[in-house]
Amino acid sequence: MTDQAQTQHPSGLTHLDAQGNASMVDVTDKAVTFREARAEAYVQMQAHTLAQILNGGHKKGDVLAVARIAGIQAAKKTSDLIPLCHPLLLTKVAVEFYPEPAHNRIRIEALCKLSGQTGVEMEALTAASVTALTLFDMCKAVDKTMVISGIQVLEKKGGRSGHWQHPHTEAVASTSAAYTTAPATDAPANSIQVRFFAQLKEQLGCEQQWIELSQLEAHTLDGVLQHLQQQQPDWQAALAANNLLMSINQNMVKRQARVTAGDEVAFFPPVTGG
Amino acid sequence: MEHQAAIIEIAVQQAGFDTAAIQQQITANRSDIGAIVSFTGLVRDFNEKPDVLSLTLEHYPGMTEKALLNIAESACQRWSIQALTIVHRVGCLRPADPIVLVMVASAHRQDAFDACAFVMDYLKTEAPFWKKENTQHGNYWVSARASDQQARTRWEHSK
Repeated sequence: MTDQAQTQHPSGLTHLDAQGNASMVDVTDKAVTFREARAEAYVQMQAHTLAQILNGGHKKGDVLAVARIAGIQAAKKTSDLIPLCHPLLLTKVAVEFYPEPAHNRIRIEALCKLSGQTGVEMEALTAASVTALTLFDMCKAVDKTMVISGIQVLEKKGGRSGHWQHPHTEAVASTSAAYTTAPATDAPANSIQVRFFAQLKEQLGCEQQWIELSQLEAHTLDGVLQHLQQQQPDWQAALAANNLLMSINQNMVKRQARVTAGDEVAFFPPVTGG
Repeated sequence: MEHQAAIIEIAVQQAGFDTAAIQQQITANRSDIGAIVSFTGLVRDFNEKPDVLSLTLEHYPGMTEKALLNIAESACQRWSIQALTIVHRVGCLRPADPIVLVMVASAHRQDAFDACAFVMDYLKTEAPFWKKENTQHGNYWVSARASDQQARTRWEHSK
């Protein structure tokens, strides 16, 4: 430790030696301790892109499953990408998705663990970044305006610095629920699921989306329609059709019917079976 | 009036159906059935546009089955019915393919005739199925007919 302190650049940057040259830190003598780091990234997108991802109906397949694998693979490649980063034998890499329909974005959280001599925050950041890039790649055909942002370390445990937590971590972690399996079973908290069928689905270019109840002025189907028309001006005509049928939890109801958190709402044109 | 519980069968499927086998199933091991009325709907090769090449039927999984069951139960409450089967196909169908089967068994013919018509009239206006016709001139969503709505309304005023 004292040895390292003597050869380190006065700026405090560990990857520069005393002469200001790039240098990989010598960790040979550092103690092996349990390390863990969490990092996050956000991908902002259009509402219908988010709906498409959550619905699983994307033409490139299961977007989140592919992005998750990409993130895990990337964590393992971190030392190949970041020049002065040590190669690490990671013991755990996990990537989770937290859709935030109210903000039209998905929060990505990556977790990396190992028992070793250096921290794993670069691995967690790489996993979060590449997961975000893969989401972008999977969806760019339908939405080129996506924005990747907010890539940061949330928490870091082990090593000399002990337990470090980003000052805003707790607030961030509690805003949304993890999205792990099928969309129908893992509804975002305090939201309703809105589904569209047949020609209405084609007109809107949307199969499904989630709406947080707090965004509705009125907790009725009329309120849902009003909200959708305000959010998506180009949906106004299709949703204004006076023969539109609607259901709550798969029962046909009228537009005055009330919605509550967890409801499955659907809008569709008059039926033509038989 | 309280009726003896009818045996209700609902199926929404891509596969075709065997009307004779379904009738055999309904009548097997019983001799109290006096009438069976069945309706089979087929894909026409002309509708809103001529030259229908194929038909794609979309539905709302879960809700469709529930709606059909509700319709069947209403019919069984209204008439004296012993068995009621509804089979509706989804997916891609070609002209002359059977789409829907409603089969009603009762002790006397009038109950079966009426219940069968009632089920079809409600199915056409309340069960979430949507048809898209693929013709030589493009694909069209079939629009709902006012006559179907009127056919259903007559049940609200009678009886």
